[in-house]
Amino acid sequence: MVRQARSEATRKKIITSAVELFNEIGYPATGLGDIIDRAEMTKGALYYHFDSKESLATAIIEEAGTRLAEAFLSISSSSAPALESMIHGVFVVADLMLTDQIARSGTQLLRAFGEFNDVAERTYGGWTAEMTKRTRQAIDEGDVRAELDPQAIGETIIGAMLGVELLASAITAGTDVLERVARAWQVLLPGIVSQESLAYFEEFLARESMRHSPAPLAE
Amino acid sequence: MTEQLDRRADTTRQQILRAASRQFARRPYSLVSLDDILADAEVTKGAMYFHFRSKHALAMAIIEHRFVLASASVNELLARKLSGLETLIDIVYLVAIEDIGDEIARAGLNLLESIGRTDGLQADVLGQWVDAFAAIAGKAIKDGDIIADRDAHGIAKLLVSMYLGLRQTSNLAEPDQFLCDLENVWALVLPGFVKPDRIDYLSQFIKRRTAVAQKKATPLAADALG
Repeated sequence: MVRQARSEATRKKIITSAVELFNEIGYPATGLGDIIDRAEMTKGALYYHFDSKESLATAIIEEAGTRLAEAFLSISSSSAPALESMIHGVFVVADLMLTDQIARSGTQLLRAFGEFNDVAERTYGGWTAEMTKRTRQAIDEGDVRAELDPQAIGETIIGAMLGVELLASAITAGTDVLERVARAWQVLLPGIVSQESLAYFEEFLARESMRHSPAPLAE
Repeated sequence: MTEQLDRRADTTRQQILRAASRQFARRPYSLVSLDDILADAEVTKGAMYFHFRSKHALAMAIIEHRFVLASASVNELLARKLSGLETLIDIVYLVAIEDIGDEIARAGLNLLESIGRTDGLQADVLGQWVDAFAAIAGKAIKDGDIIADRDAHGIAKLLVSMYLGLRQTSNLAEPDQFLCDLENVWALVLPGFVKPDRIDYLSQFIKRRTAVAQKKATPLAADALG
């Protein structure tokens, strides 16, 4: 029991150190030796958990995916209408991207490795399936127009959110991701929301944006 | 060894609380006897008295247990990070849904009415509710949904009173009607403290919560009595 806890702590340390280094000097430039030094452990300890830089990257991607999924699912409930949960959930995830290094690092690695690794297919596939499911519910509840295809909407939303993260990362080192999320939804809403609910959701989005706006910069 | 015994004792206690809740949710305090509960719980008299010295003690335990469960739900709602007023509305609807369909919740609130005035129990429990609501109302003022000079504590007291009164003047056994009544009282109180330009949105928020709650709420099973 104690051995498991120690092993888990070591694994965590390796991941944290790797993420720090990937952020500081980038994935290509980071060697396993650098990670071993930063984590202050032996070669053996690292190789016990990860046999390569790639498997470490995969673990980080999976951890990031788990955290993002949990953040999204944690705010969804059966007491809120589906589209409200979808929008609010996306903002909570964007918040996490601002504050959680592992989430940010994992997302970047996913982008870099996506094509060479089936973890991308699994991760994106999972997110899209979840969003599509929610969209179906939102259609049932009358918030999303009935004639639209839930799958198309689910994929569009995930695509837009990933795109938002990509642009924010590239242009402002991720700092304006919340504003970009809000703007993306401003564009999406009229395309998917039913006539009777549109005004409500525009207000809902405005409130959400306001709640997440960054503190004004000090003079 | 003691850990195992403790666990067994805990389960028995839970069994008794659940059986007692089944009774108190449906019948007045004065008409429920410990024998009724014993029959339902399938525990011995000895086991019962080991945990609860009297019907009154049992009732107090249910009230307290209900409060603990409710606090956990409230914290979960707070963690969702909606605005203050939206959170308050969600909390009240959650309380309503549980009052409608959950035996412990219904029993807890029924008992608060029946025996709450002794030893200041009601004042204590409701006081904590009002304080919790007042903190969230304070947030709602900062959010700009509630008019700036309104008293958070007064609003909190109003909302708690509103719900407790409604469960008496309306009928929990008719969920759709009860939730409709709840929506109506919200509509009437909102102009008292909500900024005029926010009322429209929040009214719709409330209507939408009513719709979701009406789909979700299931009333207590009519019988289930020994």
